[in-house]
Amino acid sequence: MVNDLIERARSLEKTAVARLIGVFEDSRPAAASDRARALDLLDGAAPDDDPGCTVIGITGAPGSGKSSLLAHLTLALLDDDPALTIAVVAIDPSSTVSGGALLGDRTRMRSPLDERRLFFRSQASATALGGLSPSTFQVCRLLTRLFRCVMVETVGVGQSEADVRHLADRVYLVLQPLGGDEVQFLKAGIVEVPDAFVLNKIDEPAAASSEHHLRASLGLARPFDEVTPAIHRTSARNGEGIDELAAALGDDIRSAPRRSHSDREPHFLLRWVDDEWGRQGRRHLEVDLGGAPALLTRAGGFDRAQVVFDASIRATLHRPSPPGPAP
Amino acid sequence: MSEDGPASERAAHRLYETDGEATRDRPWIIRTYAGHSSPRASNALYRSNLAAGQTGLSIAFDLPTQCGYDSDDPIARPEVGKVGVPVNSLDDFHVLFDEIPLEQMNTSMTINGTAMWLLALYVALARERGIDVAQLTGTTQNDLVKEYLARGTYIFPPDASLRIIAEMYEYCLDEIPSWNPSNICSYHLQEAGATPTQELAFALATALSLLDLIKQRGHVTDAQLSRTVGRISFFVNSGIRFVEEMCKVRAFGELWDTYTRDRYGVSDPKHRRFRYGVQVNSLGLTESQPENNAWRILIETLGVTLSRDARARAMQLPAWNEALSLPRPWDQQWSLRLQQILAYETDLLEYPDLFEGSVVVESKVAELVRDATAEIETILGMGGVVPAIESGYLKSALVRSMSDRVSAIGTGEQVVVGVNRWTDGLPSPLVGGDDGGLFTHDEAAIGEAQANLDAVRAARDDARVAAALASLRAAACDGSSMMEPSIECALARVTTGEWAGALREVFGEYRPATGVEGQTLGLAGDRVDALRQRVQALAATLGHRPRLLVAKPGLDGHSNGAEVIAVAARHVGYDVVYSGIRLSPGAIVTSAVEEGVDVVGASVLSGSHVELAQQIVDGLREQGAGDTHVIVGGIVPAADVDKLRAIGVARVFTPADYELIDIMESVTDLVESGPPSADVA
Repeated sequence: MVNDLIERARSLEKTAVARLIGVFEDSRPAAASDRARALDLLDGAAPDDDPGCTVIGITGAPGSGKSSLLAHLTLALLDDDPALTIAVVAIDPSSTVSGGALLGDRTRMRSPLDERRLFFRSQASATALGGLSPSTFQVCRLLTRLFRCVMVETVGVGQSEADVRHLADRVYLVLQPLGGDEVQFLKAGIVEVPDAFVLNKIDEPAAASSEHHLRASLGLARPFDEVTPAIHRTSARNGEGIDELAAALGDDIRSAPRRSHSDREPHFLLRWVDDEWGRQGRRHLEVDLGGAPALLTRAGGFDRAQVVFDASIRATLHRPSPPGPAP
Repeated sequence: MSEDGPASERAAHRLYETDGEATRDRPWIIRTYAGHSSPRASNALYRSNLAAGQTGLSIAFDLPTQCGYDSDDPIARPEVGKVGVPVNSLDDFHVLFDEIPLEQMNTSMTINGTAMWLLALYVALARERGIDVAQLTGTTQNDLVKEYLARGTYIFPPDASLRIIAEMYEYCLDEIPSWNPSNICSYHLQEAGATPTQELAFALATALSLLDLIKQRGHVTDAQLSRTVGRISFFVNSGIRFVEEMCKVRAFGELWDTYTRDRYGVSDPKHRRFRYGVQVNSLGLTESQPENNAWRILIETLGVTLSRDARARAMQLPAWNEALSLPRPWDQQWSLRLQQILAYETDLLEYPDLFEGSVVVESKVAELVRDATAEIETILGMGGVVPAIESGYLKSALVRSMSDRVSAIGTGEQVVVGVNRWTDGLPSPLVGGDDGGLFTHDEAAIGEAQANLDAVRAARDDARVAAALASLRAAACDGSSMMEPSIECALARVTTGEWAGALREVFGEYRPATGVEGQTLGLAGDRVDALRQRVQALAATLGHRPRLLVAKPGLDGHSNGAEVIAVAARHVGYDVVYSGIRLSPGAIVTSAVEEGVDVVGASVLSGSHVELAQQIVDGLREQGAGDTHVIVGGIVPAADVDKLRAIGVARVFTPADYELIDIMESVTDLVESGPPSADVA
């Protein structure tokens, strides 16, 4: 089944891409071997002059206008470059009580069925705070091999900020005008991570003073920056600044330094171990298996590293494998 | 009581003219909300309603006309002539009002996103008939706030919409002084679940925000502002708790009097009077034992007629079978007769206010006034009603109230006779006729409406059309009034879709907050726990949490049901994709495919469920996603349930399925049964 899907997904047929995403989101142990095979096939089919993929993280608090902004930006980018293809992964928080989630980010998005160059997928974070879903990294392993650009939209708080940092080649933080002063930006601790800022909703009255406070906070929080990070001013409402920001993103896609697939793997292997086995797992990885990079090299890639780790820790703890076909 | 005349000769229970003559009140304007299929068919209906003693017209437009699309637009086609009459150009208006004397008619138009256009058509019709425009009386509903919150036929963003409303007030003030340019609607808020306090507060905050804007625009003098306040009218709902409803309309009157005096310095008490029309509640009308609805409608009518000081100026009533289908002419006549009996047969109109001096009523009114004032001040503190819409504050409050209401019916705390109490009843002979008690559309008439559109396009002066549209766009861009350019568009035979299209280019189209984020449901208990465990087990079997796409296809904007289902599905553990209203079947298929959902649930209340479901099922199969379950919810007559099943719809939910937990269990059964075969014929 995977072989047929790969062929169709390479031409960005929506149903095939979605079904493959299903394989990469699949939490059942048996799915790991399907993933490994899919990636082998994709890498084998890639041409020598494959242009690769740029991953852009778009973070920001709920209500900052990320979704509206993305709806405008993706269309502007696709208009500018007929060879460009974009996949958007948008993540919403899950309920801690029921586990369910409301995924509403595509409300602002309009992608016609016959437009294969744009693909939109929602994910549930599986935590109440938001941030990346456990399978965001997995899905990005697939999408970076199919699209020229992957945009990950998420609420940037706490642990998830570090996750986005490790996943994306460039991180944009979307802010909305605040009534307050630079202390708010500093307290929030949000100015330290991103590569660039987007001050959205600049049609609002508080925008001018907010920009001033943001610049002041940057001077305090990031004194060692050689170049002050860019602050883009936009309004999804009246279209102001959208073209300029799209041009900046276009530059990123063409020329920003990119991570290789294997660059991303150690962090997300560690996160997986954390999620599945907690502190005990982490210790086993660091002490008994020599750390994530070493294990990845020894096992030969992410999927196999998971299998090796799983077997190793189960042997150590004398726990049987879960039911179902061996991974 | 009046000062003149010796008081001793007057009885406190009688009404007197100023000359001392005993009298009774004139009845309110008696209307029926009507329109369907085509201008010709609707004209015939209006003339027969007027002959039956109706004293005003209330026009129902179809959804394409309300949303600014021509009848031959692909998104419009399934909806043409369904919930009202299609109007594409001035020629359609000539047919619609044929042999109806405009100058004697009080015409109410339920029109919002395209209100300026329909008023322009009405003015243009009067001009072509040689009638003095200043004589026209009537109302354009034109309250976009409640469209964003509950009804869904908005087109433009809030700023542009409020500008259009303000321009209509400025135009009508001297040109059509007896026209109500807008009707602030609390009606739809109650339909969306609003409590009486929310109804009062949200409607009044809307009116105050509008007046603030008109004042701030600076096009009217203080004297004109006072008259503008006098033109603001309201459209109110009346629910089954009829004593509280009576107190609510009294509270409306008090609050409006206070705010217009204190905020705008209106000294003429006539301009401060709370004037309102009514349609009684449809939300509480039930599909099971539908004959009970006749009593509900009667009782709800009492709430807005008993108190003379707070009596409705105009009234239209729903029909007993509204939860089953659109009403037939006979059903409407039955409701019309109710009004006539109350107004002409009973002694209601002979008395002064029955509740003056009632300690109980005064105390209840005072409570409503106090709570509503607090909420109004909260909204005004946010900067008025536009920021409160854009932030999602109002919508979230409504979705929460609706979820509470549904939960209360589910637990039995709120009794609904025939639904959660005394559910066994004898078969109703009312639904036993040849047509099953249901309305059927005249398909030939719908074809005729589309043919007329071709004829208009062929016969008009294209240069005049282009010039009229250019000046409309220019006015929209430079901030000058769009009213006269719209009238010229009407005279030039511009079509509804062209008028709205020109303004869409300038203002863009609005996507409001869905209001479902962060909502919870007060639904708990063993069945919820058991269902959550089943969903959790499904997640382990499928390798992902079951995914449901809740979709509102077509132009129908009544999204409350869809929103409650979205919240309920999340409540039991589904991952739910919901993207708001007015999506084409194509866009829904794209979402379903890209999101890899297990189930697509489409909610349709416009009567177009068969066409829309067919397009979704076909679209999924064409994309190779025919193994996605499709379910439909809405006002679906029993005969259509079989049609939907034949198309491949796995489950059909109607208003009889009011228990959310039943619905979610049924959907979960479906997902547990595995994907449907992809190639069912």
